[in-house]
Amino acid sequence: MAEIEKKNPSSRRDFLTAGGTALGAGLLFGRTSDALAKRKQLKRGEEIPPWVKFSPNATNPPYPPRQMPKPGEKIHEFDIDVSIQIHEIVPGIKIHGFLYNKTLPGPEIRVPEGEWVKVNFTNRTAEFHTIHWHGIQLANEMDGVPLGTQWPVGRNQTFTYLFRAQPAGTHFYHCHNMTPLHVQAGMFGALIIEEKNNFLKDVFYYERDYTLVLSEIDTNMVEVQMNEMMKSMAAMEKMAESSTMMREMNGRMMGWFRDKRAFLSAIASGYIPPYMPAMTGPAPTANFNFFMINGKSYPMTEEVRIKSGESIRVRLINAGAMPHYMHLHGHDFWHVCEDGAILQSPIKRNTIPVFPGSTADIIIHGTNPGHWHFHDHSDISTTNNGVFPGGMMTMLMYEDAEKLGVNVPDIIAVNS
Amino acid sequence: MKRFFILFIFLALCNRSAKAISAHPMPIPEDPSTEPQIELNGAGIATMDVGRASSPGSSAKNIGIINDDDSSLSASASQRLYDGGIGSFTIGTLTVDQAAAGTGSPLFLNQAVLDYQEKSYEIWLGLTDNPAAHLVDFPTLRADDLVTFTSPLNPYSNGQNTEDHLYSKVAAITFNQNLTYYENFHVQQLIDTVDAGSDPGVTSAGFNFEYRGPPGYEHLQFVRSAGFGYEHVNAAPSYGGINQVYAGGVINLKPSVTNLVDLRAQGITMFGSKLNQFSSVTDSFQADYNAMALSLRYLHSPFGKPASQIALTLAAQNYIKVSNANSYAIALTGVKRLGQGVDLIGQLLGQWRSAALEAVQSPGVGFEQIFQVGLDFNFDTIFNQHIGPRRTYLNYQHQYIPE
Repeated sequence: MAEIEKKNPSSRRDFLTAGGTALGAGLLFGRTSDALAKRKQLKRGEEIPPWVKFSPNATNPPYPPRQMPKPGEKIHEFDIDVSIQIHEIVPGIKIHGFLYNKTLPGPEIRVPEGEWVKVNFTNRTAEFHTIHWHGIQLANEMDGVPLGTQWPVGRNQTFTYLFRAQPAGTHFYHCHNMTPLHVQAGMFGALIIEEKNNFLKDVFYYERDYTLVLSEIDTNMVEVQMNEMMKSMAAMEKMAESSTMMREMNGRMMGWFRDKRAFLSAIASGYIPPYMPAMTGPAPTANFNFFMINGKSYPMTEEVRIKSGESIRVRLINAGAMPHYMHLHGHDFWHVCEDGAILQSPIKRNTIPVFPGSTADIIIHGTNPGHWHFHDHSDISTTNNGVFPGGMMTMLMYEDAEKLGVNVPDIIAVNS
Repeated sequence: MKRFFILFIFLALCNRSAKAISAHPMPIPEDPSTEPQIELNGAGIATMDVGRASSPGSSAKNIGIINDDDSSLSASASQRLYDGGIGSFTIGTLTVDQAAAGTGSPLFLNQAVLDYQEKSYEIWLGLTDNPAAHLVDFPTLRADDLVTFTSPLNPYSNGQNTEDHLYSKVAAITFNQNLTYYENFHVQQLIDTVDAGSDPGVTSAGFNFEYRGPPGYEHLQFVRSAGFGYEHVNAAPSYGGINQVYAGGVINLKPSVTNLVDLRAQGITMFGSKLNQFSSVTDSFQADYNAMALSLRYLHSPFGKPASQIALTLAAQNYIKVSNANSYAIALTGVKRLGQGVDLIGQLLGQWRSAALEAVQSPGVGFEQIFQVGLDFNFDTIFNQHIGPRRTYLNYQHQYIPE
């Protein structure tokens, strides 16, 4: 029998709280304060140690994706549901969202590389949903694409996903049904697969590890489309209660077709696809008005904390539809991972592009005490409803800045 | 110096022009940077009418006309308010038959109303829909096709313009519970075309109650809406005014997204008048009567998209104290959707009046028959959208935003 460990996936707030507790216990301070000194110091002329060897086979899954758990292998089990909840982006701006476990973003799943992940996903809405495990090399049936690899999960249905945690690195998950709407409405979360051998930790000696999930939303579009979608689904559910109505509700009403031939046949018999100008008018495009880090816009984003001499790892996940260019003031940092994979060679930079669907890990050294802005340098994303400052902006805050003589006013600006 | 003088004159003229077109300043100057949400609603309808008809003050005739009555256009501006409420202003107009308009203008201003709404109540003030006249909207081509059966009548109307019965100046407040039960209290200044030069002031007061089924389930549950109301009209004050009681609703006989059959029904009774004969058409709007209208509709929506509709509407009216004053009507209405908001339409309309009523409402034509065929075009466009509709599935099923 495989060993099953059932967990409640932690929200980011839980994670930060846990970190804070550890800090309070003094466990980290002692180790991190001299972290920079402990990093390997190169002497002049000394060769850089081998980083990551290139291998053309490096894209291969470490384990065969279609394997099933074997006796003795560990299974981490999580319960995740989706329901319609109210989420506040900043004070005064609330949205109806599809939220995994009532949080936005959904709970962070963090598992060791190579172990098994079992997720019991329950849909508590009238709309169809799935979970797609973005970046994970898994069995086709577990990929979470509705009408592609599985039937979408209906109201009060539970679908169990089972896959091995591979490859290691920073990944995320999101709904793959009506993706442009459902992801904007909150259906995404971080999936961190911790490396068996944490090479980066050995090199950079970081302790604190932050996850920043980047996303954006057109609040008007989400409200309008969610309403329309839920009205349609309410009709579908009602029809499903009656055999007469069930006969009326054929695949064409849902926009579902057995194959291309059935689709073309429906068009020939008068079906008008929903993308036709006669049905949509001009193409409805999103006009994003709120830009979020972990579901919040500045000034309600949570700060990234560091101490002088400490190194931290920051995992950036772009779950949205726009590229974001995260710029850190006053520092260079190391770009060490892209899409979960360690780079062949780290890149020193102060602005890192994170494209939709991509993740990037950076290592920041605490070398310059103060309170430093860390924000998307595509400045339209640093606004709330068009008003600067706001949006995708947070602070790198040195906990010991004041002690080190840096006079930093604790001001929250929301314009005038 | 001459150039300077010309420039001065030019600037002075520009200044005068600007002042000439500027609106009266608000008590608190508005912030010009906050753009409101703008909503444009339009309904164009044009039919070719043939048949035999008559109208008050005219004689019987065979008609063959191009009828563009009831095409409407309205614009609304809305703002989300500091306390989370919504403030809006709507102005709108519709076309009426030029001969019937009285004023000689083919346009009738039917909306000039300000509105304030929050989760549990709504207040409005201005020219807008008569709150007693829109409990049930019947599926005839035009809202006034059977107006004498479907709306409490306006005793101040001279009968030239059917819009007199449908619109009025209103001050109203509506409370709601969970966006489902609505209680409306209002006073009205009915449109007075009998004595157009005078200002009758507040002419009526009333209340109504309405149940509306949950948004999203309009076609799916048995009772879609139902309500009743009372109106006291200060017409003919010598005998204490006129009372109007009305009740009606819509039920889905065959709930369905694709093949809906619904039934509309409404009854109106007017009492309190002492009139026992008609000397003018206005008398027929003041005398006691009972009216009933029923409409059976089939809506075909393959794949959930409305494609065609056919409706049969039957109506009857009986004057209580005036002898030989009954009326019956039938309307068979068909609509074929050609595209979003664009329909091919047709209607067969017949109304029979007994002699006393015929004499004042349709002189010379006891049985009016009109066949109409044409097109309609409806649209609703929102610019600067930042205020969602209030009565939505999410606001109804989940927490109202903003709370």
